[in-house]
Amino acid sequence: MGVASLFMALAIVGQSYLVVTIIQQLFLDNAAFSSILPAVFILIGMLLVRTVFQYMIKGSGIKMAQTAKVSIREKLLRHFTSQPMIDADKGQSGRKTSLFMDTIDEIDGYFSQYLPQVIQSVGIVLIVWLVIFIQNWTSGLIILVSAPFIPVFMMIIGIKTKDKSKEQLSELAAFSGTFLDTLQGLPTVKLFGRSQEQRNKIDQDSTSFRDATMGVLKVAFTNSLALEFIAMLSIGLIALEIAIRMIIFQNLSFFTGFFVLLLAPELFSQLKQLGSAFHSGRASMGAASRVEDVLDEETTPVSWGTASLKTDKAPELRLEQASFHYEEGNFQLAPASMRILPYEQVAIIGKTGAGKSTLLHVLAGFLPAKEGNFLIDGIAQEKVEKADWFGRIGYLSQQPYVFSGTVRDNILLGSQEEQHDKVIQEVAEHAGIWKWITALPDGLDTIIGEGGRGLSGGEKQRIAIARTLLKKPQILFFDEPTTGLDIQTEHILQKSLDTLRNQTTMITVAHRLHTIRNADKIFLLDQGEIAGEGTHEQLYKNNEMYRKMIHTQQGGREA
Amino acid sequence: MKDISLVLKMMLKEKRDILISIFFGFLAGITAVSLFAASGYLISQAAFAPPIYTLMILVASVKLLGITSAVSRYGERYFSHRGTFTILKNIRLKVYDQIEPLASRLLQKYRSGDILARIVGDVESLQHFFLRVFYPPVVLAAVFTATIFFTMYLSIGVAMTMIGGVIIVLVVFPSIFYLFQKKTAVTMREKRGALSSEFTDYLYGFRELTIFQQAERKKQQLDNNMKQYEEIKAKENRQLAIREAVVIFFSFFIAVIILVQAGFYVSEGNLAGTLLAMLFMIAITVFEDTPSMAVLPAHLEESKASSKRLTEVWEKETQTEVAVHEIETDVPIQFDFKDVSIQYPTEKKPAVRLAAFQIKPGTNIAIVGPSGSGKSTLMQAMLTFAPIQSGQLLVNGEELDKIAPDSLWRQMNVSLQHNHFFYGSIYENLRFANKEAGEEACQEALEKVQLSHFSLEDQVLEKGTNLSGGEKQRLALARLFLRDASVWLLDEPTSSLDAITEQEIMEEIEKATKYQTVVTIRHRLTGLEKMDQIIVMNHGEVVEQGTYMELMRKKDGYFKAMKELENSQLV
Repeated sequence: MGVASLFMALAIVGQSYLVVTIIQQLFLDNAAFSSILPAVFILIGMLLVRTVFQYMIKGSGIKMAQTAKVSIREKLLRHFTSQPMIDADKGQSGRKTSLFMDTIDEIDGYFSQYLPQVIQSVGIVLIVWLVIFIQNWTSGLIILVSAPFIPVFMMIIGIKTKDKSKEQLSELAAFSGTFLDTLQGLPTVKLFGRSQEQRNKIDQDSTSFRDATMGVLKVAFTNSLALEFIAMLSIGLIALEIAIRMIIFQNLSFFTGFFVLLLAPELFSQLKQLGSAFHSGRASMGAASRVEDVLDEETTPVSWGTASLKTDKAPELRLEQASFHYEEGNFQLAPASMRILPYEQVAIIGKTGAGKSTLLHVLAGFLPAKEGNFLIDGIAQEKVEKADWFGRIGYLSQQPYVFSGTVRDNILLGSQEEQHDKVIQEVAEHAGIWKWITALPDGLDTIIGEGGRGLSGGEKQRIAIARTLLKKPQILFFDEPTTGLDIQTEHILQKSLDTLRNQTTMITVAHRLHTIRNADKIFLLDQGEIAGEGTHEQLYKNNEMYRKMIHTQQGGREA
Repeated sequence: MKDISLVLKMMLKEKRDILISIFFGFLAGITAVSLFAASGYLISQAAFAPPIYTLMILVASVKLLGITSAVSRYGERYFSHRGTFTILKNIRLKVYDQIEPLASRLLQKYRSGDILARIVGDVESLQHFFLRVFYPPVVLAAVFTATIFFTMYLSIGVAMTMIGGVIIVLVVFPSIFYLFQKKTAVTMREKRGALSSEFTDYLYGFRELTIFQQAERKKQQLDNNMKQYEEIKAKENRQLAIREAVVIFFSFFIAVIILVQAGFYVSEGNLAGTLLAMLFMIAITVFEDTPSMAVLPAHLEESKASSKRLTEVWEKETQTEVAVHEIETDVPIQFDFKDVSIQYPTEKKPAVRLAAFQIKPGTNIAIVGPSGSGKSTLMQAMLTFAPIQSGQLLVNGEELDKIAPDSLWRQMNVSLQHNHFFYGSIYENLRFANKEAGEEACQEALEKVQLSHFSLEDQVLEKGTNLSGGEKQRLALARLFLRDASVWLLDEPTSSLDAITEQEIMEEIEKATKYQTVVTIRHRLTGLEKMDQIIVMNHGEVVEQGTYMELMRKKDGYFKAMKELENSQLV
């Protein structure tokens, strides 16, 4: 870029030089027209060089923007995915997507416009000034004295208004959102019969939005006005100085005078362009700092190792005084110790907020144990190979995720290799969704997920069951849904789980008595602590809290 | 032209700002040209050592022109931006006027909020039309015209060359660029959409992807999408840069042509030598602002697409007449569902099939069923927000679509599943339900929903993002306590609250609605014993209806099975 900007500067100098030469020859030397033609062709060549190099500077800026954006997006992805794998939070989805798409797109301008302009301007200003100085040192001196006023002036105004306008601009952004706010609230507006008032509000808001924005813009405009004045003053002084030297002292030729007079505006126009690029560059830098803020947020990734597990049997899980706490919020999972044997049926129960899901996430390797140990078949979790572990577990949650793609793709997620449609049919039948699939216009090829066909909660759940059945995990983690499922799905879920019973360790955050009664082992959680452990009978006999829970639920009835 | 008629119309409403900015733009341009012309003339004169006073006059006029040019530039910027924002306001109001009557029908059609976000995005992008599409060529043309007239006075030939240059820069180049523009814009939008949905899948399906060991594969896909998108974006940027380079080169080139042409006239003795530098300076300055023509096609295409999408939103709607028949206010409202089927246009299956039941005035009705079973759709239908395909929904014996919706809503108190709150104070949000409500009444309403820890001055952010789910539900109910209505429609009004608070608030509602009709969609099956009627939905059909006792007595009844399932729940 720097080299290109030097060449561009030389082309500009050459271009002015040739123009002056041509005019000089025709105007003062009365040269024949044909004698200037070679100069004209060189001049056109210079123009070509100038545009080509200008394009090259731009082009490498664009290239830089491209690589930078890819690498920032990759960083952001790594950051997001190294966060604990908790439930896909729909509310957050929009914000993260907009950061990933819009905010990073905004950074583009910094690399593709601002940076090339800075390099181009610096190179040209330096070279052109040097040429002017050599040609006529007094003009060079005038520029040297006046030009620095431009950046200094801009900085003073910039510092003065930066915080204020930054604050104002973010306020303005919120303000411009009110139109969307109103449109989204239209049903409410109409139900309460307030259409006319809302219309007036849009009118008022837009007008004050305009006035406030103009307040900010005025600063920018005044800035460039000052810039133009300085440039004008400086060029005017140079013109005056040249004229005086040419006429009164007669120690300056037409050639030099005109040459300098052509070069000076080029210099100032570069400075002006730099000034306006500065404004757009700042917006990009704002976007960059927003991304920076997100990247600075601490993450607690789960680390893995290289040790492999025994393949044929479900591993034994053991927690030794393992604890966990989130970065924000005051919830804490107190040091817990537990042992889960292969093929055991385990239930975790407790009130809302007791830490059931957190415990399940630690056991599944979604969250790291902060202190203590988590042993898988006697090997510390962080030494176990990640793929080996995830290759043998399954997880059914309250909100299974459906990917945009075909039904087939979504079910095949459960398999590492290509599967015959027959196998898919088998698991889909087990999951009670085969009939639904055959009723679809495109069958297994129907597009679902974002942008595709919408699914009900029950349908999503069954797709997830089909996936899990296809995978046949050694350990199944199951966050039992509390509400919202229809009875059929409920039955299917139960049946499918029963088929997995003897070949899978099942760890369930349980909400149903049915699951609890059938469990080999129950862990009762209370405020992040294990408050009881044992079979239903043992706990019922020995644990006051457990007894109370069961009693309130049954409400005196036999369940 | 038809595509952008919307924005043109809205723009022309602001004649004053437009004319002023064009005037200043012209002044700025023409003074800049004169400035450089004068300095070119000055230097040529200086070569002949003329009397000092001619020089002083020239220098003074150069100064004066410089100042005028800078000040006009300021005025141009100020008024053109002010105009732009006023135009933005006009477009917003226009869009609001068009969409407001269609709101319920649009919501039937597009159930997600995306359409609204798109509308807002389109409105925002139209603000560039004036500044970047309409305005630059007008000002350029004006400056060119004036300059060409002046040049004609000096040399007809040079003026002719200039006219040719103007035609190429203002007409030929933009047209050619525009043809290329269309193609890239479409692929760009597609790639962007693909990347965005890949990202959502990867991020929110990450747990599933890890467990099923597909994260690497998906990451690869995402990386590919990312690179493709950046590739096409870079291509677009490069295209813009090339166009700019072409225009810049051409404007220098035309200046050189003029120089050569004028030079030829000088050597032939047809033109005074002192004018040579001046003509060159004029040419180089007048073409200086033309690079804006390189980006014009991109903005034109964007404005056209936005404008078209916007008008489509309301033009596609068949302008069915809004019923004007007002419902009588002193007659209690009764709803009759007669085999009502409802199907959203974007769905293949009906959301509700052959629903038949009655809602008598003053009764207490619960609608229950699993998620996605069509409960909310029934309620939307009573609000005229759902497209009824077959069957009849009668209100006091009259078909729903014959009744002015406003008159119906006036008698209703509604809490939807997602209630909307506006940017403003709690007080403002409460008074949205009733303009006359005083501070005391509002405070009382807050107490009823156990939100007395809020003060009326507390701020609510857009869409209530600073409120928790439970707070939003309670604030929505508080609004209703301020408003008299004979029918209350509540869609899972307390699903985010704990059981105790839920019960207490439901009691408050009962107190306030002794004689009113209350229809509640319930997610829990508790407290249904007192209901006059329970409507049980599954897969879009009303599978059972009756009182609690009736339903529980049914052998193998759906409701009974649901209730037993719930009873076996521990928490």
